[in-house]
Amino acid sequence: MSDIEQPAGELWGREGFREDPYVTAETLEEAGDAPAVILPLGAWLGLTEETRNASNRKIGVLVAPGESIEPLLPLLDSIPVIALQFPAFNDGRSYSKAELIKNQHHFKGELRAVGDVLIDQVAYMLRTGFDTMKVNHAVTLNRLAGHNLHDVPGYYQPGRGSHTASGTYSWRRVPGA
Amino acid sequence: MYRYDEFDHAFVSARVEQFKDQVERRLSGELTEEQFRPLRLMNGVYLQLHAYMLRVAVPYGTLSSRQMHKLAHIARRYDRGYGHFTTRQNIQYNWPALKDIPAVLDELASVEMHALQTSGNCIRNVTADHFAGAAADEVGDPRPYAEILRQWSSMHPEFSYLPRKFKIAVTGADRDRAAIQVHDIGLHLKKNEAGELGFAVYVGGGQGRTPMVAKKIRDFLPVEDLLTYTTAIVRVYNLSGRRDNKYKARIKILVHETGTEEITRQIEAEWQAIKETDLKLPQEDVDAIDTYFAPPNLVQRPEGWSGLAAARKADHAFSAWVDQNVTPHKNPDYGVVTISLKPIGGIPGDATDAQMDLVADIAEKFSYDEIRVSHEQNLVLPHVAIADLRIVYDLLLTDGLATANAGLITDIISCPGLDYCALATARSIPVAQRISERFGNPERQADIGELKLKISGCINACGHHHVGHIGILGVEKKGEELYQISLGGSGDEICTIGDITGRGFSSEEIVDAIETIVDRYLEIRTDKEETFLATYRRVGAAPFKDALYSEVANAA
Ligand code: HEM
Ligand code: SF4
Repeated sequence: MSDIEQPAGELWGREGFREDPYVTAETLEEAGDAPAVILPLGAWLGLTEETRNASNRKIGVLVAPGESIEPLLPLLDSIPVIALQFPAFNDGRSYSKAELIKNQHHFKGELRAVGDVLIDQVAYMLRTGFDTMKVNHAVTLNRLAGHNLHDVPGYYQPGRGSHTASGTYSWRRVPGA
Repeated sequence: MYRYDEFDHAFVSARVEQFKDQVERRLSGELTEEQFRPLRLMNGVYLQLHAYMLRVAVPYGTLSSRQMHKLAHIARRYDRGYGHFTTRQNIQYNWPALKDIPAVLDELASVEMHALQTSGNCIRNVTADHFAGAAADEVGDPRPYAEILRQWSSMHPEFSYLPRKFKIAVTGADRDRAAIQVHDIGLHLKKNEAGELGFAVYVGGGQGRTPMVAKKIRDFLPVEDLLTYTTAIVRVYNLSGRRDNKYKARIKILVHETGTEEITRQIEAEWQAIKETDLKLPQEDVDAIDTYFAPPNLVQRPEGWSGLAAARKADHAFSAWVDQNVTPHKNPDYGVVTISLKPIGGIPGDATDAQMDLVADIAEKFSYDEIRVSHEQNLVLPHVAIADLRIVYDLLLTDGLATANAGLITDIISCPGLDYCALATARSIPVAQRISERFGNPERQADIGELKLKISGCINACGHHHVGHIGILGVEKKGEELYQISLGGSGDEICTIGDITGRGFSSEEIVDAIETIVDRYLEIRTDKEETFLATYRRVGAAPFKDALYSEVANAA
């Protein structure tokens, strides 16, 4: 949330930091011959089916909080990565979208959080179904490097990366696959 | 009442540890106030006019004696010897030092309490009828459902960054004492024709600058669907609620702008998709939570009735207190006692450490260890034997807690206003105190009868003025505090937003203006049985406006 140009950030998932094969571009042309590209929703929807499914290139889609995911739902099988945006940490719309995409519509590809990703939200993101986060906030990077997720020992609702706790109420979960 | 199990203990202590770390980082300067803000808010810590304020959750208003003793201890040790009970069934401490707050949270955790989700754009402390589990008119105890909602909404990963705060209230009686129709979601526990329990579901009520009465979107929702249906509502809100303007961000605006029919359609569609998921409540879980709220094993005390008549005859003040502050209990040998935190001329909702300790002691001996906090800023002893009323009254009397004014004009709800609140545009506590003094005479107030007077120090309406039979809103105009009056509001089952009478009154005029309204009511009521609200509903605003504006014009 600062005016300073942020570095591109590092990609993080439950297993730790990883290489990001994707470049982000406004259009396919702008991406040149990059083998993996993330395009804004409008541009992505404008692609032909043939281009989307081309085997030599992966094309993911970036969705802003105000944009509807409805048009993507019938096409989920052809999308390698969906990046949901958090323009500010307190804009929570993408959490509900993650829930819908992953848990209601069973998206099998990578679900990614981009934007204002802070340490206090990482655990929430994982639980709603995000696989990866693009992080450029220094404190958050540090904490993630130290595996300090700021998490709690039990959850009061079902979610990804947790399982039913035995001998307790149906809505409760404990961390772990 | 609900008791923490290991799961709850581990959860709360993990949160306290995290907050300790954050406070240390703030005190060492590693975190700026701006970075610290969202973190402290998640733990109920506000920055107010004079100091940090800590808001402690009292889920659905239920407290044990042990917990009340702890609240007293915190007031004594970490604050200035008092706490403020609020319309949200919470308690606020106005003067804790930031460095002490982690210790306060530890103390709270030791009695199964916390300050989580008392702030921020999340699902807030769930409120309920303060007579729950005791009132004679109850269909079912709303608290087990409030507890299930409390658990389910705690650190909800999807719903912690909603467009705005989100308040849920539950009632279990036809007589609504929890003001459910001015909440984001209101749930009315009831039975269907087959005798099964379920909820009428209301959505989109609220106060603030755009007061709205909630819309009923479902007449009967089976209990097993409580969490799936609530999830559907909050999800639709999270996705579509406005985020461009914080004054238009509550669900009431979404419901209003989308239309009740369309929003209901969206909620029902989302619900169909998740109805059969893991959140569908198994009956055994509902039963398990329910057992925590099983009524205490009340000893039969039939002897109370004969003694009561004599005691009342002997002491008029005691008799008035019984009339005003004791309501019928499910068990005819018992009564529900309201402890007024509105002494004549006092600060509504404030209680000293000694008063809290006294209430805790009385509850332990005479109310099966239970205390309630009401949204009317009073305390309640839910299970007092009629036979013990006299001794309870005498004990309350020793520390100014036996004011016989529950539901009367001096039982004023008032927000903290300019004396504490950073958002205030006017003082509210001093106005409440002056009105209380003006009408303090016991015979006079009893003659006026039921009259709910509510005051807010700004348009945010924390003092519920929109639903006051008489509401007072403090505003600032050209550097002067001005008080606007509204009439005919009501937060019960026939919920209405009050009508503004006209131009506001200065701080000097406001008490006279209230008296003018009350006098006019006394003149025009059909008889003593016709309450202020009933009279207003019969005659409308005109007679009151006439009285107000002609008289003041004459005086000027
Ligand atoms: C002293 C610090 C306080 C601050 C900064 C504060 C802030 C606010 C704000 C900004 C709103 C408007 C929300 C909206 O319209 O979206 C509001 C509403 C409300 N607050 Fe407070 N408040 C404070 C104290 C209290 C107290 C002491 C109580 C209880 C007596 C309370 C209970 C409520 C209630 C019941 C509402 C209106 C219901 C609704 O949410 O629509 N607040 N508060
Ligand atoms: S109504 Fe206004 S003045 Fe009163 S507590 Fe709420 S925000 Fe503060």
